[in-house]
Amino acid sequence: MSCSSVDLKAYFLGELKAGERAGVEKHLAACGDCREEMNRLDATRAALVVLADEEPPQRIAFVSDKIFEPRWFERIWFERIWQSGPVMGFASSAVLAGAILVHAYTRPAAAPMNTAQTVPAAQMEQMRQRIEQEVSSRVGAEVTKAVAAVEARQDERIAQAVATAEKRFDAQYRGALADARQTADYYRDQNARFLVASTRSGR
Amino acid sequence: MIFREVEDRDLIAKSRRGNVDAYNVLVSRWEKRVFNYLLRLVAHREDALDLSQDVFLKAYQNLRKLDDPAKFPAWLFRIAHNEAFSLLRKNRPDGELTVEPRSGEASARMYPMELSLAVEGALERLSEDQREAVVLKIYQGFKFEEMADILGCPVSTIKSRLYTALDLLKQSLAPVHTGGAQ
Repeated sequence: MSCSSVDLKAYFLGELKAGERAGVEKHLAACGDCREEMNRLDATRAALVVLADEEPPQRIAFVSDKIFEPRWFERIWFERIWQSGPVMGFASSAVLAGAILVHAYTRPAAAPMNTAQTVPAAQMEQMRQRIEQEVSSRVGAEVTKAVAAVEARQDERIAQAVATAEKRFDAQYRGALADARQTADYYRDQNARFLVASTRSGR
Repeated sequence: MIFREVEDRDLIAKSRRGNVDAYNVLVSRWEKRVFNYLLRLVAHREDALDLSQDVFLKAYQNLRKLDDPAKFPAWLFRIAHNEAFSLLRKNRPDGELTVEPRSGEASARMYPMELSLAVEGALERLSEDQREAVVLKIYQGFKFEEMADILGCPVSTIKSRLYTALDLLKQSLAPVHTGGAQ
């Protein structure tokens, strides 16, 4: 590697990748001129950093502006809950405890632990078949019960509908019968009056 | 460094939601760097402080426009660069950007006066662009790509300015420093 192909300033400024740095370092070990140049760059930086940073004469700070303030629920969430380690810890613990309790009260009966390690395969298969049969029979029973309940509800609704219809029909029938009787009575009276009148005129 | 970046990102996110306290924490982390960057550009403490306040106010107002919070430093210094050059142009309407030599400021510092005056003089002899490149690289530690974002020019231009500035500074300061150290 020649001096002209070495980007000594990029190396000095920390802008080279690891492989490139190794190449420059190898060249520096062999080239006195470049070592001297590197020493001068180091001396320049050492002089520059003598000018230390100054503290600002006063702190820069901003006061809250209503326009930019977060809404109340954002403030509560981010400042009271999200930022608070103890509150978040307590909330997490409470949620975890609740989940454990719910699981404990709702889960089915626990299966024996480590059955696969302690029970032979044949027994495991029998146990699996028994479980499947039991599950199948229980599911079947529940389905039968549910179907029977649905059918019973449907029969009841049909019976109610029929009874309502019969009641309505009976009322209509009675009404029509009464009307027919009134009509028959009317014509019987009219007929009687006609007979009386014709008898009198026949005399 | 990673932990710090995450914290800054968190503060930026809260500031975007209008949390002024979070933004003040962010300001307290960056105000010294921004102030010193501006001080080395405009060479006037009051101006540097006023500019710093303007920079952080503009940063707050435009924080939602920052696409990647990891680029906050370069974004912030881009605003500072614009503010500084706006002031320098206003003070020099003819377009010539020169800085008044500092007088008497070095005497209040804790380091050897001769060396500090020599460094200040060497920096002042650089062009505005060269000085800013040195400040961003040597004093602020930005990478070439970040400097290109801040200054709005290609990396090749950054390298050219910086390498020329280093050659000039080396001529002025290396003998001074070597002589002073011995």
